[in-house]
Amino acid sequence: MSNHFTRLAARMHVIPPLRRCAFLAAGLLCLPAAAQAHGILGDRFFPATIASDDPFAADELALPTITSFGHETDYEVEYSKSIFRGFALGIGAGYVDARPPGEQASTGWDNLEISPSLELFRDPGHEIILTGGLDWEIGGSGSQSVAGRSSTFTPTFKYVKGFGDLPDSMAYLKPIAVTGTVGYALSGRNGEANSIEWAGAIEYSFLYLQNNVKDQGFSNFTAHLTPIVEYNFSSPVSAGGGGTTGTINPGLIWSGQVEQFAVEAMIPVNRASGSGVGVIAQLHFYIDDMFPQSLGRPIFGGPR
Amino acid sequence: MITRTLLAVTVISWMATPVLAHAFLNHAEPGAGATLAQAPQEIALSFTEKLEPTSSGMSISDAAGHDMEAAAPAISGNTVTVALKPLAAGTYRVSWHAVSLDSHRTEGSYSFSVVPPG
Repeated sequence: MSNHFTRLAARMHVIPPLRRCAFLAAGLLCLPAAAQAHGILGDRFFPATIASDDPFAADELALPTITSFGHETDYEVEYSKSIFRGFALGIGAGYVDARPPGEQASTGWDNLEISPSLELFRDPGHEIILTGGLDWEIGGSGSQSVAGRSSTFTPTFKYVKGFGDLPDSMAYLKPIAVTGTVGYALSGRNGEANSIEWAGAIEYSFLYLQNNVKDQGFSNFTAHLTPIVEYNFSSPVSAGGGGTTGTINPGLIWSGQVEQFAVEAMIPVNRASGSGVGVIAQLHFYIDDMFPQSLGRPIFGGPR
Repeated sequence: MITRTLLAVTVISWMATPVLAHAFLNHAEPGAGATLAQAPQEIALSFTEKLEPTSSGMSISDAAGHDMEAAAPAISGNTVTVALKPLAAGTYRVSWHAVSLDSHRTEGSYSFSVVPPG
């Protein structure tokens, strides 16, 4: 959900008014892809990132994602359905509760978001996936009080890379993995700035460390923890669009057999990005493991 | 809103029972990165899920790539064991693949060393 920062920042009035709608629309489009992340690739399990997209096209449900930043709290749901192997369609929705001091409260439903995602390249041996996608915010589908009337399209490129192929002399770096996404948000309204949305994560898998590098004697609970730092930025490309804004999110993910729970802090990177530290938390379900013979299978073709 | 969310989570959790999930390695003996004074006679792996016996397995190789299993892996429930040939001093690689009963596949590998004292 790389939209979290841009949307929240816009409502908090840390972005100049003329650009608020553009940021809002651009950011909102990036939501559902985070639900496409139940990833097993080679020897590695990748947990679903929550503040940035990753490239797995899978059957997943994020319910709920709760974000509190500044004077706004968002409640979101995201569902991703695999259509055929390597291609998934995501849909996301969210409810906004914004109460800036000295202003009227804004509450209501955000615009719906649709996000097709296609894996273009997969190399389990080197733990690499490259994915192309398109995020579409359906303008006017949400409440007028919080959602824009124009649609925004964001073509995106996503990647993941695990470092299990490092030499044994660098064994303790093998649990590291990175994910990332870069998108170009095309605003549907004249006069609004387009922007580059870029986000990602660096993570360290205790499970990979325990099972593939060196048995640390972790408990079962500890072995399923993944320390993670996500980042989430928006860079306007039009003249007068302002500078880059965003947050850096250190946190922790615990992944179980069919579910995971994640919590991260949201630290604004500069004054224009807001003040104070926010929090984002998510409960996430691996639908392909919960319903392997029905809902968790691609509609066309065999199981993943 | 929160009430609806909790209700939905409860319904989904209920609908998901019983769960069949990916089989992740839960415990290995000897474990990843272990340095042993005495050569083990077998490798035992336990997983978080029951395994499909015909599709799961494990192999052990020495630094030269020679297979070191003395017999085919034995798979029962969520465990895989394999008896080993006598191991000399050196580093060995364990490679496993596990298919859970819902047909999801996982795999992994790790090394351990035999270093006799003295």
